[in-house]
Amino acid sequence: MNALELSGIVKRFGGVPAVQGVSLEVAPGEVLGVVGENGAGKSTMISVACGLYRADAGTVRAFGRELPPGDPRAAIDAGIGAVYQHFMLVGPLTVWENVVLGREPRRLGLIDRGRARREVSEAAARFGLAVDVDARVETLGVAAQQRVEIVKQLWRGAQVLILDEPTAVLSPLESAVLLQTVRVLAGSGRAVIFVSHKLREVLGVADRIAVLRRGRLVQVTRRGETAAPQLADAIMGGASPVAPPTQQPPPRPGGFGVLLQATDVTCLSDCGRPALRGLSFQLGRGEILGIAGVDGNGQTELAEVLTGLRPATGVLALGGEAGFHRTPASARRAGVAHLPEDRQRRGLCLPLSVEENLALGHHRAAPYARGARIDRTGRREKAREMIASFDVRPPDPLARAGDLSGGNQQKLVAARELAGGPPPRMVVAVHPTRGLDPGATRRVHEALRAARDSGAGVLLVSLDLDELRAVAGRILVLFEGRASGETLPDAGDESLGRMMLGQAAAGA
Amino acid sequence: MPELRARLFAPARDPLWGAVTALVVSLLVSFVAIAATGRDAMAGFGDLLSGAFGGPGPLGETAIKAAVLTLTGLSVAVAFTVGLFNIGAEGQLVWGALAAAVIGRFDVPGAMLLALAGAALGGGSWGLLAGWLKVRRGVHEVISTILLNWVAFHVVHGWLVPGPLAAAGSGAEVSVAGTEAISRAAWLPRLLSGSRLDLGFPLALGVAAAVWFLLTRTRRGFEWRAAGAGRAAAFASGIPVGRRICEAMALSGGLAGLAGALLILGTEHKYPGVFRTGYGFDGIAVALVGGGSAAGTLVSAIVFGALRAGATRLQLIGIHPSFAELTQGLAVLLVAAPGMFRPLFARLRGRAAEGLVPAEPP
Amino acid sequence: MNLVLDFAPPLVFAALGGVLSERAGVVNIGLEGMMRFGAFAAAAGSILSGSPWIGLACGALAGAAAAGVHALLSLRFRADQVVSGIALNLVALGLVTYLLQSLFGSSGVSPPAPALPRDRFGHSALSYAALAVPVLFHLWLSRAPSGLRVRAVGEHPRTAATLGVRVLRLRAICVLCSGALAGVGGATLSVGILGQFDARMPAGQGFMALAAMVFGKWTPLGAAAAAFFFAAADAAQRQLSFSLHAADLRLDGLFLALPYALTLVVLALGLGRTRAPAANGVPYDPEGRD
Repeated sequence: MNALELSGIVKRFGGVPAVQGVSLEVAPGEVLGVVGENGAGKSTMISVACGLYRADAGTVRAFGRELPPGDPRAAIDAGIGAVYQHFMLVGPLTVWENVVLGREPRRLGLIDRGRARREVSEAAARFGLAVDVDARVETLGVAAQQRVEIVKQLWRGAQVLILDEPTAVLSPLESAVLLQTVRVLAGSGRAVIFVSHKLREVLGVADRIAVLRRGRLVQVTRRGETAAPQLADAIMGGASPVAPPTQQPPPRPGGFGVLLQATDVTCLSDCGRPALRGLSFQLGRGEILGIAGVDGNGQTELAEVLTGLRPATGVLALGGEAGFHRTPASARRAGVAHLPEDRQRRGLCLPLSVEENLALGHHRAAPYARGARIDRTGRREKAREMIASFDVRPPDPLARAGDLSGGNQQKLVAARELAGGPPPRMVVAVHPTRGLDPGATRRVHEALRAARDSGAGVLLVSLDLDELRAVAGRILVLFEGRASGETLPDAGDESLGRMMLGQAAAGA
Repeated sequence: MPELRARLFAPARDPLWGAVTALVVSLLVSFVAIAATGRDAMAGFGDLLSGAFGGPGPLGETAIKAAVLTLTGLSVAVAFTVGLFNIGAEGQLVWGALAAAVIGRFDVPGAMLLALAGAALGGGSWGLLAGWLKVRRGVHEVISTILLNWVAFHVVHGWLVPGPLAAAGSGAEVSVAGTEAISRAAWLPRLLSGSRLDLGFPLALGVAAAVWFLLTRTRRGFEWRAAGAGRAAAFASGIPVGRRICEAMALSGGLAGLAGALLILGTEHKYPGVFRTGYGFDGIAVALVGGGSAAGTLVSAIVFGALRAGATRLQLIGIHPSFAELTQGLAVLLVAAPGMFRPLFARLRGRAAEGLVPAEPP
Repeated sequence: MNLVLDFAPPLVFAALGGVLSERAGVVNIGLEGMMRFGAFAAAAGSILSGSPWIGLACGALAGAAAAGVHALLSLRFRADQVVSGIALNLVALGLVTYLLQSLFGSSGVSPPAPALPRDRFGHSALSYAALAVPVLFHLWLSRAPSGLRVRAVGEHPRTAATLGVRVLRLRAICVLCSGALAGVGGATLSVGILGQFDARMPAGQGFMALAAMVFGKWTPLGAAAAAFFFAAADAAQRQLSFSLHAADLRLDGLFLALPYALTLVVLALGLGRTRAPAANGVPYDPEGRD
């Protein structure tokens, strides 16, 4: 009997079908890999399986029993547990409180704290997951939080564990540990659904692999029957993916002369702990420097320092002018463009229109303004230009920025930063293609390359090693606020991985 | 982002459906309430209309009230623009009124203008204080403006007016008499014989137009709107958000202060011992029902002004004037939940209402 | 001290109501209106039935009913919670004045209402309750399963939902109870202290309760302590003003303003600021795509 069976699932959001007639099953002790690009329907399928969404058609069966639709409690009771990409944890609560929430052990009407803490520790230990049950979750690092999520499901007796892009935020070593954990879980008789776009990992751990594309199930193969290239084809549907790097003129490491010289840069994070500890590096004109590293090693803070959002000490010289930018306004005046990490919060004013967002930052000068007044025709014209050249959809200057899809929002930000005003001298792009589909990703990469080709220095911070290898001319790895190594894009996973963990390989 | 606030910034596409519907529905409900108590609703409606528009006298009353409400409504709307909730229009109005009453005592040419300017400054400083507290000290403006209101009331009504600024020789009736009368030179000129209609209404109209222009057509107005629509993004784009918020709060306070000046220079001609406050809070209702736009605020202000002017007539058939407050409150309630209207409009437009009001999981 | 124990309870109950609602993630600016409904209903109930206890129950029910409207707008229709609260205050203002006129033919005060009995120290049961309830609330919030869930729902409702917690239902219950508490606070004014309803009630105490809640960092004990502090400041001001009056100095206004100004100063100094519950004021969409 299958541990979990999804039959003929159909789910629409406001008329747009996200999943159309997909059937999947997984047996106890089996690992099912589910692959597909963003928007293919993977997350929707998971939400339906867990009872968070009510499917418009189709059934969900756990161990033969049909589950009532849209009932998370029933799904949990039936043994289905999910660990999502965005962790479902309540920050100010402790680890044990997060694990037992909703099913608290009781004594005399109140929570039985002793029993709760004991049970959580035991569940963690049984599967080799290291957690501190009394720590407040918001103080834990990403990998630890993920362990808490897994313990949460296991404590509830999950027999089916669904992992949604679990290695997206982990370093290569932490990913290896997770994959090992997956094998342990399968070995203990549990069914695991491993959703990922990292084909190599899926091929390494899954017994069967299902491919979703545009809401439909395209193929299901056993391990050994397929390999990465075939899977990639199935995912993309034969359309050619991102232009292979070899077609681009080979980027010149170091660019043409030094644009930015950073020496001994030091700053604190939001929590008051040191984020950058004496980082030194150079950025050349006409080059794309990739910044790699496990999330939380100073990349975010580095981007903020360079764009005037965070104070720092040390020496920074941009184009010969020494000094840090104390405000975003001064950074902008010096020709620094910023594609922020959190595009919805820092990149866009969501309630405003596309046209107004395109004017932000450059709105005080022509063609957006004439004197103290807004030049409405000028602004509209310019907006249309940028919408066209960056292929923003829908191509309506008056559309509300918040209504655009993630990919189009990012194109909007890129258009504004790179083409909205005078060409920038330095571009700081942080995770610019996170969550974007290949088409939008391609467009953003083109824009970054175009900026590089016109002589700007581009700093590209990304968690995606493949992206860095495809786009950057040099890769700088940050570990605990310092540069732990620098390589060319042809470096392998192990050497990059070692640098990301602070074990410097010989510099390239 | 909650519907109403998102609408404040949205590119002007939707007509004022929400506001108009809310006003109409709340009036209807109120009249049903009257009829339910056995009184003649039609006569009541007639009385209301004649009390608001029937002749130069009533028109004057409506205009006076509408003018004050327009200004306090704009005050709240301007604060909304930078994302702040100004509950303090009441206190800002009080300071503005006091400033007008004090400056207006001087019998000099231009006293009226000086008094108006002083009122704007007085109210503006009070608003700026709230803005500063928010920007520099992180004090939520809802709390700070409410507290500032109480401070203003007590200091002005409880100390300054009955104390140092009391009219000379009022003796035992000091609490009723108020301050010295303002000089003739400071009076707002009356415009229509047989009514109290004064320069205040045209002034309010002019101010509304100016505010509209500022918010929609100038660079500064754009920066304010960006600051309110997405503070982090506005800041990251180089806009000095803190400074802009303080500026907007100063203008917001100044507008409320002007409202106070209108009351003193146009109607009371001194700071009275017993001052009917409430226009500041009504301004909140006006701004909300008007959807935060200058035009919407003006329309709501006129409707609510008419309601108040006409409501006094309702007493003739035994309905308490608080009826106007009730209707106002209902209108705000209805406007607060535009989601209630969506299915109705969608059906009217022939589209399925599916997906617009989410179903709760069981 | 005696005065404080008498004047604090309305503020304490209302502040606790605020804490309950906001910890669950629903902003409640409408405390003032709920107190007003509670005060009036308590007086009316007490007059009509002859029993102050029935009046008290009426007050709680009225507060809860008003909160029900706020819950409906905020939770079902996902309205802006600040606006909804303000609307409630406006409606309460007009409606209660209207009812006072229609039911009792007065625009100032209601007829005398049977008040709660006082013990030999001169305190009613509510004064003692104001000491006990915050502690019970604190214990519930930190130790009870439902308390844990409320805390979760106020910080990260989607997480709670994935674990089977019924977010909207829990929030609605919290808002209703919040209204009941505010209603009791209002009832304390009319049936516990004054013995009648005054058209101005609660004269801004609902807003003071909000300040107490913020002051007390959204914790039951903190909010109650803040409420007691405000009441003490108020009482001190009255004593001072009395003696100044005797000296014929018309400084009432300054002293009346003092507690509010003081609160502002304390808030401005930001003594140990903590933030409100993370999901406070954000409407929860059960099928939202995060």
